[in-house]
Amino acid sequence: MSVDYLNTITENASRLGMRIQESISEHTRDINLAQSNASYFDADDKTKNIRKQLDSSSDREKLDAMKRLIALISKGRNVSEYFAQVVKNVASQNLEIRKLVYIYVLRYAEQEPDLALLSINTFQKDLNDSNPFIRAMALRVLSGIRVPMVGNIVVLAIKKSAADFSPYVRKVAALAIPKCYELDESHLPSLIQTITTMLGDTSPLSIGSVAVAFEAVCPTRLDLIHQRYRRLCKLLVEVDEWGQIDLLNLLLRYTRTMLPRPIISSNGEEVDRDIEILLSSVEPLLQSRNPAVVLAVVRTFWYAGPPSAYGKIVRPLLRLLQFSKEVERVTLSYILVLARTEQALFAPHYVRFFLFSEDSRQIKAEKIKLLVYLINYENHQAIFRELIEYTEDANDEVVANCIQAIGKCAALVPESMQQCLAALTAMIKNNHDVVVSNAVLVLKHLVQTQLSQTSKIAGPSKSSINIIASLARKIDDIHHPQARACVIWLVGQYCSSDEATPGPAGLTEWAPDVLRKCAKGFALEDVLVKLQIITLAAKLLVLNPTDQTLILLNRYVFLLARYDSNYDVRDRARVLSSLLLGVAPSILASYDEIIPAEERGGVVLRNEQVKVVLFNGKANISVSDNTEHASNATIGSLGVITGKSALSDTVLPDWLEKGVESSLRDSPDDAPAAPVPSSMSSSAVKTKLGGPVILTPTIGSSSPASSSGNGRKWASNLDEFFNEAAQFEEGSSEEDDDGEEEEDEEEEGKGGTEEEEEEEEEEDGTENSDGSERDEEEQYPQTKEANEKGYQAFE
Amino acid sequence: MALDGIIILDNTGRPIIQSGFRSSTTAYPLLHIDAVNNALQKADRSADVDPVIYVAPYNSANPSACCHVEVGDMRFLCPISGDVDPLFAFAFLQTFIDILREYLGTVSAATLKDNFDIVYQLFEETLDAGGHPLTTYSNALRDIVIPPSLLNKLLNVTGTNFNSTINSGFGAGAAAGPFSSPLPWRKTGVRYNNNEIYFDVVEELRAIVNKNGLVTFSNVRGRIEANTKLSGTPDCSLNFTNSQVISDCALHPCVRFQRWNRDKILSFVPPDGRFTLMDYTYSPNPLPSQSQVMLAKNNVALPFVIKANIELEDSGGSFDVLLTSRYSTHALENVVAEMHLGQGAGGIRCSVSRGSGGGGFINAGGSRNLETGGASNGASWSFDSRRMVLRWEIPIVSPSSSWSLHGSFSTANRVPRPSHVIRVRFDISSHTYSALKVDQLKVVNAKESYKPYKGVRGRSSGDVEWRW
Repeated sequence: MSVDYLNTITENASRLGMRIQESISEHTRDINLAQSNASYFDADDKTKNIRKQLDSSSDREKLDAMKRLIALISKGRNVSEYFAQVVKNVASQNLEIRKLVYIYVLRYAEQEPDLALLSINTFQKDLNDSNPFIRAMALRVLSGIRVPMVGNIVVLAIKKSAADFSPYVRKVAALAIPKCYELDESHLPSLIQTITTMLGDTSPLSIGSVAVAFEAVCPTRLDLIHQRYRRLCKLLVEVDEWGQIDLLNLLLRYTRTMLPRPIISSNGEEVDRDIEILLSSVEPLLQSRNPAVVLAVVRTFWYAGPPSAYGKIVRPLLRLLQFSKEVERVTLSYILVLARTEQALFAPHYVRFFLFSEDSRQIKAEKIKLLVYLINYENHQAIFRELIEYTEDANDEVVANCIQAIGKCAALVPESMQQCLAALTAMIKNNHDVVVSNAVLVLKHLVQTQLSQTSKIAGPSKSSINIIASLARKIDDIHHPQARACVIWLVGQYCSSDEATPGPAGLTEWAPDVLRKCAKGFALEDVLVKLQIITLAAKLLVLNPTDQTLILLNRYVFLLARYDSNYDVRDRARVLSSLLLGVAPSILASYDEIIPAEERGGVVLRNEQVKVVLFNGKANISVSDNTEHASNATIGSLGVITGKSALSDTVLPDWLEKGVESSLRDSPDDAPAAPVPSSMSSSAVKTKLGGPVILTPTIGSSSPASSSGNGRKWASNLDEFFNEAAQFEEGSSEEDDDGEEEEDEEEEGKGGTEEEEEEEEEEDGTENSDGSERDEEEQYPQTKEANEKGYQAFE
Repeated sequence: MALDGIIILDNTGRPIIQSGFRSSTTAYPLLHIDAVNNALQKADRSADVDPVIYVAPYNSANPSACCHVEVGDMRFLCPISGDVDPLFAFAFLQTFIDILREYLGTVSAATLKDNFDIVYQLFEETLDAGGHPLTTYSNALRDIVIPPSLLNKLLNVTGTNFNSTINSGFGAGAAAGPFSSPLPWRKTGVRYNNNEIYFDVVEELRAIVNKNGLVTFSNVRGRIEANTKLSGTPDCSLNFTNSQVISDCALHPCVRFQRWNRDKILSFVPPDGRFTLMDYTYSPNPLPSQSQVMLAKNNVALPFVIKANIELEDSGGSFDVLLTSRYSTHALENVVAEMHLGQGAGGIRCSVSRGSGGGGFINAGGSRNLETGGASNGASWSFDSRRMVLRWEIPIVSPSSSWSLHGSFSTANRVPRPSHVIRVRFDISSHTYSALKVDQLKVVNAKESYKPYKGVRGRSSGDVEWRW
């Protein structure tokens, strides 16, 4: 029964739906609503109509044409041929059309300068529009038309807009300055004049762009900043995030050029008062949500602050690591630069640099480098364990980096040497080639360093010889050619021994055995390994020229090498066998009998001489750290990231010996707030707190006329705005101190009509039986819906 | 020195939309597109492409670099020339993407194509031709670039002059026009019949567990997302009962920094609509500590344990993984455990089951494509043969329950080389690790008085790397 009923309903509903759809599609056939914007994209390029549409009187047609043009631009078409038609619409009353026209004009003005000039009148007219948005847009297009002829007009327009009462227009004016300068450098004097005036601008909205203009047009005129310096510092917090970055970079440059370097002595630091002002006013910005702002502040602290202030930048930098993987990648490189000089800053936070398996290759590489920088006595155990776990990574490069890092650990923290060697020897048994070869390479390096260090004091240390011994015994398990070659070389180099062994005298007992094993499979070895086998054979023979077995082994190896298919091997064999002539002429006996000794000519070396040739003069291992050259890298510059130093064209100026006279920075408008830095910073607080300003009279209920009037007043007199703001804050901060007053104020704020409802937020949100809750539900029907979404009401 | 523009590529590497470039050569954007596509082609994993790519100079142009991020099925490129901090580019890209998201809902190649005129206008308004960001507060943007809506489309196509209010400037209409608000992030004249403000406390746990089952690193990052629908210019102050669990926070520009640092009260005039009020890090142990022992205490207790028994042999391996929830009150949702099996892996045979008793034994053949195992009590497994990742999904892990996955795989190489990591991701609703609790929110409005509805809810997620 109910099913039938339901069926009827659904049937009716669908029938109704169909009819509605029909009628809609009938009515909207004209408006082709169903056809979405994407169709502009995919439609075939029926460009014929565009011209006609642009000339039509209907806004709809025009808009359609403009959209099609923009879509064509998007596809990479050149649609400059429509310029004439488009320009006609520049004064369209429809803002949508106008915006698209602006976009178009900006793209093609350069190619059609004559036609662009036609439109200039309209823009000039727009500069006087009552709407700040229109004024700003006109100026943007005007300055974007790169036609030298309009230079003068643009300069005038900039000058006019620079004094506009809307800070947004002033901002656009400032941004137009560099473009104008680029177009025609002869306008420099008048542009500098405009910049000077604008530097006095107190609106936080536009000042960032003024900094941009300053850097682009007159970066050397830092003297213009003197009187504004303190005011700019105070303004920083309120500036919009992008402006903060530009302004901070300017202020940092100013500080480095004009202020004395902080002096660090045994009895504390001496920091110029004006640097302190800068640092105290930027410090809150370390809490910005914008990573670029945080970095700009970090730069300021790092390059202008005393070392005692460095601690403040650590956590914000670590926070950036969580922002996104791209930001993480960049920030890690910067931290690396910082950690190189101040490893103690980041060492306690080493866990933050542990690798995740899904990290990108660059991130992994940077993290491993960082961990090596941060290693110290306290954390070496933990870092070491981590590094060992990373050797199981699926990426060969990471594994290689890691094993090398383990080697560096041992060098940096001598206490970990034994552990390191143990780990590396264990890795040799690993069945991945990468692990084995890298482990052997690092091991060789370590053993060599250890031997070269200890040999100065006493003979080769027992432990490293033991390592070589164990390597030698595992020669059959080491398959990677490079690693094998490496082990064989080590064996040869350190095989001499004074102890009595069952084997040939003067040699360690394991050395001849390695040769025996290697000789057996000589033909199948890699070239690299063959070369080392011959060398090993020669070395062993020199140390013990009389042992018959060795001579036989040598003869066998050299014979094979002589007929090897690789000429490097043949050459090496030839060199070594001639070298050995004086040591053991008998090894060559088998095949050299035909040539009498006297006919051979040349010098025959004695045993000791051959020993010197073979064993000595090995270059000391040099730690090659290819990142070292970048030690003077500046954080916040592109060069650090790409590794191409050519990109870092902005080098921070070095401090002056003595800063310029501080009184230069005294300015009349600072006078009341100047005395002590601490009070300066707190006055910055005041303006900030006052900033958001409830004083805003332009809220809904007030009449439009009065609102516009007020907006005008405020915008035209910003000093007043800030004074009022400061006063407001003074008032409200008093209220904060006094709880009773605050309550009074709150009641006033609510019009005193409603009782405060005491309502505890429920832990689980399950029990809400409170009476007041129900009241609220009646009052606000949306409550229920909100609760369903899982929101809990709270006071 | 600036951002040169933005290029949006689709998943085949072809540009969909690009902003105007002021630079000298028309080849400039093409060079960057090429550089990115080449790098993508060379890399094994797309994640391995360096997000900052050096682009060699062409002709006399300066050397430049291309910063790029992946968003859904697209890639956003931001070429920079001169010595620009790449963070600047990434911060801007992020802001731009957030704006797009707010305008279009979902950001995908389809929605962008659908609203390309909006995107072009946004380019124009957010980035000045000289390469400096212009207007990025969405409240201000909404005044000048009208968000797409059905009504808008209708009015536009019918040619109605919809923007008369903007055109006529001051004095007309309720809104005073763009850029008339003294607070750049909030527009004036906002009116709501029902005043509401909602807060979402969202926390994300990241942790590494080493082979011995010890947590070596854990970090909980939280953020408070607000959605405000309040009339007028409300001045809010929000405080917490346990603000000491918060450390190292980042605040939206509307928050008074000094007030927070002094009193731990978030005092702000919110933008209208959605925004992120603050980011923070949860510190279980408020005292900053340096020593190892203290660091260990600073770790957050993980909501589950894994017992993994994985054995590798020649040309394959077998695994037996047991996941047990440690929470007694909250269920873990959308649990996904992933294991990279290394190059040449295949022939997966798996079974998933719940606890010791329940669950069927399902085997799936070793086809090379996406192998999918059956579901048992909602849990299922699949193998992505492109990424070589075995994926184990459990929709809901109820409190204290345990789940197991066991099976085997074979590899083409003699020595299998899986990454020795099980990566587990999960969500927990109405729960926060920090138990951060909002005490009260005061809303003061100078002009009109109303009592808004205030709601708060918590939500957390996790991403744990469990090594074996």
